[in-house]
Amino acid sequence: MTIPRIISGPQAFQPCISRRTLLKSSAALAMGAAVLPPAHSMAVEQSVAGTSSDPIRNGKVIDCHAHLNHRSRATWEADDRKLIEAADKLRIDQLCCSILTPHRPATADGFRECNRWTADGMRRFRGRVLGYCYVNPGYGREALEEIRRCVEDRGFIGIKLYNEYTCTEPVVFPIVELAIELGVPILHHASHSHYFVEDQPRMSDAGHLAELARHYPEAMLICAHISGGGDWEWTVKAARHAPNVLLDTSGSVTDEGTVEMAVAVAGIDRVVFGCDSSMTAGVGKIRGANLSTQDKQKILGGNMVRLLGRRKS
Amino acid sequence: MIVDVNAYLGHFAFRRLRHNTAESLLALMDSKRIDKAVVSSASAITYRNAQAGNEEVAEEVRGRSYRLIPFAVINPFYAGWQDDLKICHEQFGMVGLRLYPKWHNYQLSSLCCRQLIDAATERGMIISIPIRVEDNRQRSWLLNVPDVPLEEIVELVKARSKARFILLNGIGYTRCPLGRKDNGLPCNYAIGLSRLSAVLANELGQLITNLGAERVMFGTGMPFNYPDPALVKLEVLDTSEPEKEKIRSKNAMAWLRL
Repeated sequence: MTIPRIISGPQAFQPCISRRTLLKSSAALAMGAAVLPPAHSMAVEQSVAGTSSDPIRNGKVIDCHAHLNHRSRATWEADDRKLIEAADKLRIDQLCCSILTPHRPATADGFRECNRWTADGMRRFRGRVLGYCYVNPGYGREALEEIRRCVEDRGFIGIKLYNEYTCTEPVVFPIVELAIELGVPILHHASHSHYFVEDQPRMSDAGHLAELARHYPEAMLICAHISGGGDWEWTVKAARHAPNVLLDTSGSVTDEGTVEMAVAVAGIDRVVFGCDSSMTAGVGKIRGANLSTQDKQKILGGNMVRLLGRRKS
Repeated sequence: MIVDVNAYLGHFAFRRLRHNTAESLLALMDSKRIDKAVVSSASAITYRNAQAGNEEVAEEVRGRSYRLIPFAVINPFYAGWQDDLKICHEQFGMVGLRLYPKWHNYQLSSLCCRQLIDAATERGMIISIPIRVEDNRQRSWLLNVPDVPLEEIVELVKARSKARFILLNGIGYTRCPLGRKDNGLPCNYAIGLSRLSAVLANELGQLITNLGAERVMFGTGMPFNYPDPALVKLEVLDTSEPEKEKIRSKNAMAWLRL
């Protein structure tokens, strides 16, 4: 990827944030940032996101949790384009996307349709959109066949599981075993609230994922959106002793200290950047985290690259 | 110049806050090039006697009021609020209020609340209302405090047209009269951008179109929130630099008479 650098002053303010800004901001706090110029006059790096033919490389910013739009939505095509435009503005190189059925539990026809559209999105936004195969584990053989088709034939990078089943239910185990066989991660919807979430009775949380991880230490499990509304401190602590559970930073909550605690408790290699459609929140919390540039690079893409590099086919 | 209309000092009952002293908040502001911030007591959200929180803030900002602009948290159903208002305004130099109707368990339409708003307006004070303090899904097992419904805000701004309101930590304004063009409401409220989207649905851009950039103010929610998401929004916002400047500082400075 070519990244020409443009130095702009206040009069030529650039609408896009820079990777340098994204990475440096917290270090500035540590260093006492008095010497830095105003944010709106900082150097801006312009990348040409989307021009790569190599989907997985080092040094990129990868949103590990994104969604294309279901086509029952009248504006799906324009909204998909908006997602890419937002990624352009925010210097996100690649988005790991799934499409979920509007109503769940998903039927087999429903998740197959979603995955066809995801595959189409991967073609329309080649190099920008990476696909997660979404299935409802309750469909057993059909779900497994769909995963194999998506990963082996369509080039999907992982599996997306939602809330049809808690991840510790045996019906989920064959999915995990197939993910291990294929060497792909599972992004699992998760949240932990201190009350019963009535509309998601089989919600998984980081404790469930940690339990699943103990049964399957070779699995690569991504605990979705630690900033997705539940008690993120609980979530981070529950995942502490599960080395094969990664924490996805996505979600609309921008509580100060979230990313730092995730790194302190789980370790830098287990935190991955995500937005889940909360784009400025997703980018802003990494930018704001008081971590080194190297650590931020790992979160922004390095860890995900490492994960995706374990693919076996 | 960046002026943050949505900042706090002190402790919050349910989560540890960092950067919550005047000194550490100023260091954070320096690192983000935020010049001034309107601050109120985070502790007063859950103190029974909110005035104790105001006293703490007054102590913290002493000698720093050129950068930290204190607002008072007043519960109009608590004994002595009239005295507290007078002290906060006249002794502590607090030029505005923050109201927490759901946390303090009263109605914005109640007589006491309207009396407080009238008294503050008489003093030229701004009334800011955080629609939420934190995401309800992460609430403690001890309590369940809902967001302030925007419909209640609509009624309030209509009923008190001479008051000036800053609405904080809200979202969904464009789905109610508050964020619609030609909504028939008085132009007596401004909206903080901390939770507004600046891409995808781009509610921030819609509000600028519908209400004008004069009605939007920069605010982060720090130290509850990272300040950076709000800064990123300004950076990616697709509008002119003069309009961004209004949002970044000019609107707040005009309202705060800085």
